[in-house]
Amino acid sequence: MVQNSGGPAPYIYVSTRLRVRKAKLLPPEEYQRMLNMSLPEIIRLIGETEYQKEVDELGTSFEGIDLIEVALSWNLAKEYQRVIELAPGSLKEFTMAYLRRWDIYNVLTILRGKMQGMKEGKIKEVLIPAGSLDRTILDRVLAEENCERVADALKNWKMYPTISAELSEGCAIGSFARLENELYKRLYADLLQIARRGVKGGNQFLKFVQLEIDVKNIKTLFRMRGDGYEEDAREFFISGATFTPEELQQMNQMANRNEVIDALLARIKAKALQVALEDLRTEKSEQEVDTELTKTQLDHMEQLSKINPFSIHPILVYLEKKKYEVVNLRAIARGKESRLPGETIGKYLVI
Amino acid sequence: MALKDVKPTRSELINTKKKIKLSQNGYKILKMKRDGLIMEFFKVLEEAKDSRGALLERYSRAQEMMAIANTIEGSIGVKAAAFSVRENPDITLKSKNIMGVVVPEIASTQVKKGIAERGYGVIGTTPIIDDTASAFEELVEAIIKSAEIETTMKRLLDEIESTKRRVNALEFKVIPELSEARDFIKMRLDEMEREELFRLKKIKARSTA
Repeated sequence: MVQNSGGPAPYIYVSTRLRVRKAKLLPPEEYQRMLNMSLPEIIRLIGETEYQKEVDELGTSFEGIDLIEVALSWNLAKEYQRVIELAPGSLKEFTMAYLRRWDIYNVLTILRGKMQGMKEGKIKEVLIPAGSLDRTILDRVLAEENCERVADALKNWKMYPTISAELSEGCAIGSFARLENELYKRLYADLLQIARRGVKGGNQFLKFVQLEIDVKNIKTLFRMRGDGYEEDAREFFISGATFTPEELQQMNQMANRNEVIDALLARIKAKALQVALEDLRTEKSEQEVDTELTKTQLDHMEQLSKINPFSIHPILVYLEKKKYEVVNLRAIARGKESRLPGETIGKYLVI
Repeated sequence: MALKDVKPTRSELINTKKKIKLSQNGYKILKMKRDGLIMEFFKVLEEAKDSRGALLERYSRAQEMMAIANTIEGSIGVKAAAFSVRENPDITLKSKNIMGVVVPEIASTQVKKGIAERGYGVIGTTPIIDDTASAFEELVEAIIKSAEIETTMKRLLDEIESTKRRVNALEFKVIPELSEARDFIKMRLDEMEREELFRLKKIKARSTA
């Protein structure tokens, strides 16, 4: 159970260490500079930064752009594991809970790979052990023969009850989409619970998680509308924030985008999100909507971290900023490889 | 058929005339078939042009979406999302007849899927995965449609080619040779008739003298 124990010392310690790490992240102008570089220059530059160790380690197994991508993911995983290690007591538990989304990604990838009868090596290539399930645990789970055995090997994992409840249906229909949605819903329910249990900055964290849920729901809403999905979409929405799944379902059935934005604005209180929603009145693609909302979310997180310098917010800011550094570097490298124009790549960067 | 092999008899003449008539009928029918096939071919060609254009367009779009998806999600993210897809579209092959040419009719199960049917969860993925999946589903649909049209076109072309060869063989080889044989037999029979008449006249002249 996450509780506020040990006074302010752990918060000061972790916040300070992570603030130092955050200062080492690439500044936004560096991305702009990289957008004007050629692919070999970008690869060389990435190889000369703090990702050098992973690039050297993986140099024998991968090459070119794949090497860069895997090195970035490995670095992210290692960095997150280090954050988990350096966080004391309740903060460790909080960090592990926040990073559980990576566990969900890894577990689902293993389950899907096993369902498809893929080889261990192929599945392992796409795992990113950045959560509480580290590489050793994932290797053990990966060695299991089938989905049922994989689930059994995860009996001690916090999310096992959800897997246990949904696995048989998933195996029967050959799709783990419902399980995936349920796991994410459980993740947010757990985060809301932690925020209400008295961690320092918990009130703001509660608001932040609710904002994240709102952003996720709004993204899902726009995706559903973009896809023309008019059936009951309640199962795709997360409860616990501003809107109930029923309200979002009603919005999904509204005739035009402006009507939806008006309905959202009538209830949304976060100013940053209100501004982002106003921007969405133009005919933007679902992906552009997604990127805009992510940027809004990060800005909000950064503000909270400044208001509460010794709380859980600096941890969150570092975790997210690190993730988006990896995402941005990968986007620039992959975009250059696909010969996408710099402007197009720039549109998808989260700076 | 060499003329030396032709027997200059009346029954052979009748047979040859029958063969010529049959060949001429066959020639007319095959010519009509060839023309009909060419007309059908041009119809299919128009469809093929459209389907090939659509295929190329969808291929470019799919490639572009894959490039953007790799940019946003990374190839790891794209591969992980692709793990969700378990079903392959079922292809059913039937056949239909165009002027005696058996061409395939390809039917497939629904390739294009909705956001909720693709096997990945909606909460944990991004819209770029939807767009990429959708672009590739459209590409597969275009490939299936194109496969039917292109195969039909190829079979029609093969049939036109073989019909054309038959028409040409009848027009330039079989019918001229048979006509030549007929003329030869006629000529020989006339010759033989004249010889007979001359011989009879000689006999008659001798007997009267």
